[in-house]
Order: sequence, then C-alpha cells, then structure tokens
Amino acid sequence: MTSLIRNPLTIVWALLTTVTIASSLIALDGGAAHQINTTVTTAVLLIAGVKAQLVIWHFMEVRRAPVWLKATTSGWVVGLFALLLGFYFAGL
Amino acid sequence: MTDVAEDSATGVDQSDRAAGARGHVPGDPSMWFFVIGDLLIFGVYFVVYMYFRVQNHELFLHSQARLNLDIGAINTVMLLSSSLFVALGTAAARAGNSADALRRFWVALAFGAAFPLLKMCEWIPEISAALTPGTNLFFMYYYVMTGMHLCHVLLGLIIMCFVIRNLKTSQQPKISFVETGATYWHMVDVLWLVLFALLYLMR
Repeated sequence: MTSLIRNPLTIVWALLTTVTIASSLIALDGGAAHQINTTVTTAVLLIAGVKAQLVIWHFMEVRRAPVWLKATTSGWVVGLFALLLGFYFAGL
Repeated sequence: MTDVAEDSATGVDQSDRAAGARGHVPGDPSMWFFVIGDLLIFGVYFVVYMYFRVQNHELFLHSQARLNLDIGAINTVMLLSSSLFVALGTAAARAGNSADALRRFWVALAFGAAFPLLKMCEWIPEISAALTPGTNLFFMYYYVMTGMHLCHVLLGLIIMCFVIRNLKTSQQPKISFVETGATYWHMVDVLWLVLFALLYLMR
C-alpha cells in the first residue's frame, strides 16, 4: 500500500487531480459566466495541455519510448494548444 | 541514469524498471498508428470547434453556462483515477504479478464504468430541459464530441474486460496485449482532458 502511495504514477495522478480541481475553481471564479475572460481561457487551456502531456508521458510511458513517438505526441500537444489559443485570440 | 536514481528513491515497482528499456514502444505498434490517427482527427474537431466558437462567443458562453460543471469535473477525476490503476496494473503485469495486476484492472474498470453512468446523469436532465443537438451550434458540438468520446469510452471498457480475462485465465498473460489496451484507455483520457477544457472551462 505504501509503495502504491509513493509510486511516481500515483504522484502524477495526485498532481493531475489537483490541477483539475484548480482549473475548475479558476473557471468558477472567473467572473460572470457569460463574459469572455482571456485570463481564464489561457490558464485552463495551458493546464489542459500540461495534463495531456503528463498522461502521455507517464501513463502511456512515452517518456521511455523512441524519439519518433516522443516527437509525434509532444508535437500534437504543442501544435493543438498553439492552434486553439491562436484561433481564440485571433477571434477576439 | 537519473530515472533509475529517482525510481530507487521513490520505491517504484520493479515492473516500472522492467519497462525501463529505452526505446520501448508500449503495446502493439499498430495501436499507436490508430491512437495517433485518432488524436489527429479529434484535434481537427477541437480546432474547428474553436473556429466557430470565436465567431459567436455570446451564444457559446450562454450555452456553456447551462452545462453541469460538477459532473464534468468528477468525470475527469474518474478517468484520471481509472488511468492511474491501468498504469499500475500494467506495471504489475509486466513484473509478473498477475494477482495485483488483476485487482488494479478491476479498480480501473470500476472508475471507468462510472464515466458513462455519470454522463447519463448529465445528459438526461439536459435533454429533458430541451437542450438537444438541435438547440444551437454549441449543443450540436457538445453532443457530437462528447458522444463520439463516449463511444471510445465504451470500446475502452470492452477492451479492459478482455485484458482482465487475459490476466485471469492465462498463466503467462500477454504483456503486449495489456500494454495495447492500456495505451488505448489513456488516449481516451487525454481526449477528455481537452474536451473538458473546451466545453466546460474556457471563457
């Protein structure tokens, strides 16, 4: 049981869960629900990008995978969130 | 070298170290072909959603405010917890500890099965309140994207049942099959993390 709690995977999960709750609180505290809020959007999208990378890296074990797989998955995360933030700010 | 030192310090499972051969592709490479393809297809949906969203901020913000953020957040934690136990189960299976692997996959299945049940608790009141795919563009994207994701969750649960059967019935479970199932399940988790931010959180 202790080894499960101290397992690096469990620590990653605790981090993911904490930032999930944090991003929900950021969205709730971000003023009126019907208003654009660039700070909230930037924060929650960046947090989502970090979470996706953490799952890919640690749970999917890409951190020990060949370079092509690391590059493809990390490229997807960076490219996707760059496009999402780019479209968001371009449309303001 | 650094990883080995970290692993020793944190008391990581032997199994994690067994997976430590650098350059190891977890599971069947053809599953990775599917996973990368799926990530790209969903990526296009996410970007197209954003494209339409910024053209009608007001409609999307008003519609989004009618979603149940609590269930969305709880479902995120359910999938993350399920993914954790899948990763722990995979590590145990690799270490040759089938009993632990089996227990962990059962826990993962329980967390994973909570997702569609909670989704129903979310969708039924929304549909009863006349919020359907025909309501507006936001709800069309909401139901189509979460519906497609839900299909992936259901397929993932079926795959997990096969992994459990493999662990239960075989003296020497196929590690590659366990890793392949795990890879698929984690992809389902990754897609939801993006959906949660786009549909429930962003403003």
